[in-house]
Amino acid sequence: MDQQTRDDLLKLFQGKLNEAMRFYLETCTRCGVCTEACHVHASMGQVKYIAAYRAEIVRRLYKKYFKGRGKVWPSVGEAKELSEMALDELYDAAYSCTGCRRCMVYCPFGIDTQMLMSIAKLLLVGAESEPEILTLLADTSIEKGKSIELFKENFMEGIKRLEAKVVSKWKMEAGETAIPMDVEGADLLYVALAGAHSIIPAAAIFNAAGENWTLSFFEAVNFGAFVGDPTKSKLILDRIVNEAIRLKVKEVCICECGTAFRVMKQLAGKQPFKVSSITEVHARYIREGRIKLDKNKMDGGVTYHDPCQIARNAGVMDEPRYILKHLTDDYRELTDDPRYNWCCGGGGGLVAMGEDTLDFRMKSSRVKVDQVNATGADILATACENCHAQLDNLNDHYKMGVEVKFLSSMIADALVQDAQP
Amino acid sequence: MSDDIKVDKVFDLKGLPCPMPVVKVSKGIKEVEIGQVIEALSTDPGALSDFPAWARTSGNEILKTEQEDDVIKFYIKRNV
Repeated sequence: MDQQTRDDLLKLFQGKLNEAMRFYLETCTRCGVCTEACHVHASMGQVKYIAAYRAEIVRRLYKKYFKGRGKVWPSVGEAKELSEMALDELYDAAYSCTGCRRCMVYCPFGIDTQMLMSIAKLLLVGAESEPEILTLLADTSIEKGKSIELFKENFMEGIKRLEAKVVSKWKMEAGETAIPMDVEGADLLYVALAGAHSIIPAAAIFNAAGENWTLSFFEAVNFGAFVGDPTKSKLILDRIVNEAIRLKVKEVCICECGTAFRVMKQLAGKQPFKVSSITEVHARYIREGRIKLDKNKMDGGVTYHDPCQIARNAGVMDEPRYILKHLTDDYRELTDDPRYNWCCGGGGGLVAMGEDTLDFRMKSSRVKVDQVNATGADILATACENCHAQLDNLNDHYKMGVEVKFLSSMIADALVQDAQP
Repeated sequence: MSDDIKVDKVFDLKGLPCPMPVVKVSKGIKEVEIGQVIEALSTDPGALSDFPAWARTSGNEILKTEQEDDVIKFYIKRNV
């Protein structure tokens, strides 16, 4: 690595060194409590997958370039040079971590491995060594934001074709629009994913609840966050923020996508609208009597996988359980405390990297499979696209024999039409 | 298949979760030579904006888009 490249990368590193990050970098006592916290280590048993080990890869660079002892006497300071080899180690650490933060809730100091891995990811972006596909996906999202006028008409026509399926789940009066778009003054902006499965059930439920809503032109997922590029992450986020402001909505509701929700909720800053996950909105509709659900639609035991970015990292844990109480009498918890739930193994961009990560994702998530199998449930519900895709892969690979379902689809299929006011 | 376009490879992306259609097309287009055409089949309405944006980003070209029932067909020429 030439000096100019190293200097450029160290500037990126320095830019991440806020007070919290310095605390994480300087506090680890190597107590080992995090050892069994990582699903990758618990499933594969290799030292390199212990959270403290991952952190140490970043920490040694920090000691070398940002601490006096590491600069003067690197061998004693456990400092390490930023080299091509160091970049390889950063890649292995960052892209074997799903950013689930289970280790953080075990750590007595609350050291945030995901934050430390964000340094690793940023250095990889700076060195153009990040997974190419994640950058391409982020750039595609940004391009969509810039050129939306070119794609708008086609997209709206595609959405129109879904309306019959929405009406098949919730009948509407003639002349009513099943999937409203671009409605200024709507109360709620729903930000979905590209797939019809992310739009049809949600639309039926909004209509059943009598919501004054409108569908976003943009997909919720933030690939800039997956690849750890804060500039791209913000550009992707801003598309939705600007749309919400233009339409003067009171609430932005993020679909079943963990990263999308966490990024919008925690990184959008102060805005003239509130941010909700679709699970929170659905629980609200039930609580307010705006929708009624038929418990007889569910056959067999149901368990629920808490998506890390929605539950542990954004606090939405009671709402899915409240919804499930209205969907089934046979709900089975995966864990005594959802904060300590095992990650499914698909986060951090790993699912988006597709088949390239499939073998690792299957091997590193054995503990999740054991956890689900122990419930004996027939239906495995979740509220995140990444989790759903990963759990589907695990179900196939380990022949778990469960049906993986989106919580919103279960709600849409159980809607009681007679409850319509 | 479109009558006026010679397709060199077909990718069935129907029902894939986000963002697999774009991921698979990005990788799949490298399986044909520059100048050749792939046909991508998707059921995602979002693909109607995702694929054109991806094409602009990656330097490839969408020659034609067709919609039949639930299936959207993209004819994409590899340019790079």
